[in-house]
Amino acid sequence: MELLVSFFIFICALVLIIGMFIIYQGNEKVCFLVQDRTTFKLEQLTADKAVFSCLIPFTNRTGQDGTVMDAFPRHLLPQEQFDEVEVKSTLTLADNPREDGYWEALILLGNTSSLAILTVTLTAKNGNISTTIQRMVDMPIEIYYQVVGRTNWHINKDRIVMSYQEIMAALDKGVNVQRQEAI
Amino acid sequence: MAVGKIELVPIKTRILTDKDDIVEIIESYGRDIVGKNDIVSVAESVVAITQGRIVRPEELQPCFLAKVLSRFVPQKGSLASYYGMQAAMDAEGKWRVFFAMVVGMLAKLVGISGVFYRLAGKQAALIDDVTGTMPPFDKHIVYGPQDPDGVAEQIKARLGCYGAAVADVNDLKRAAILGTSTGLDPQQLSRILIDNPFGNASQMTPIVVIKNYAMAERAVQG
Repeated sequence: MELLVSFFIFICALVLIIGMFIIYQGNEKVCFLVQDRTTFKLEQLTADKAVFSCLIPFTNRTGQDGTVMDAFPRHLLPQEQFDEVEVKSTLTLADNPREDGYWEALILLGNTSSLAILTVTLTAKNGNISTTIQRMVDMPIEIYYQVVGRTNWHINKDRIVMSYQEIMAALDKGVNVQRQEAI
Repeated sequence: MAVGKIELVPIKTRILTDKDDIVEIIESYGRDIVGKNDIVSVAESVVAITQGRIVRPEELQPCFLAKVLSRFVPQKGSLASYYGMQAAMDAEGKWRVFFAMVVGMLAKLVGISGVFYRLAGKQAALIDDVTGTMPPFDKHIVYGPQDPDGVAEQIKARLGCYGAAVADVNDLKRAAILGTSTGLDPQQLSRILIDNPFGNASQMTPIVVIKNYAMAERAVQG
């Protein structure tokens, strides 16, 4: 009986120690710092198309590594609100940019940060972006990212708003830069 | 062996998938390069991919034991996630991995390392967690190849070369030969491939031909 009680106490102590170890070890905490993003800037302007981009930092706030398996933007511009442009949005790593919209899975080491480039392309359905964009509206963009660390994989979502004012400011600034470069 | 007489020739291929047959691919890309004195070596992860030995973490249901044991693997290891550990358990058996972990921990307490991987089975050591390979397999867990010796024999028979090998090589000066055709010395091949001629992204140059191996071997022997 004494042996049985000792064994039971040993098992309980073992479970407690393992539980405490797991709690102490913790898990990754990867997040996109959408509030710290840069303002959009104009990357390209053609007759029918305007391309904007901004940088979004993302970080891992704990000492446990996290794997960002996938990340992508989801722009929200319903036709009921504005039906004059086609929107394409992509997300890629700033230090290893791709043009195919594919997010290559990466390990974000504990307590480190990196940068992603969000690119938004607005194409006017009538072929004239300069006039069409004047009627553009605020457009929310959600950033989805799938992360796996020491627990089950999970998908997080953060949201930014690409406002009309920001689009206009980026357009004005970009056009001025283009003019100066042309001169 | 006089390694200086040997030449390593990486062969670039398209991205290979589970729709491909590795022996046919090697014949297709290497037919004009491989001679009868040469050894064909092929990257193990690519062999595994062509054998369909890949799984997405989303397709796995980690058991309680996998969740607990993965916590005791250093975070750089492929079994440090629920899914990597579950993949190892699926390949080698849940209780074998558990037993290996317990014995491995006890061995570590007395200063002996590597016991877990010796006891848990080959697949536990060969599994690559996500990010371990190039797109489109960067989001997959890749198991080790099945029957690497058999694959090597098939390559040798098809290409008519001196021999063939399936190798696991990385940039950290680690070259493990997982399988060879009959008569080859894995340690010798390991020394030849130690500088990772497959390159960092081995999926783009998954085949390396060791030119003139037989001639160099004969020169050493006689």
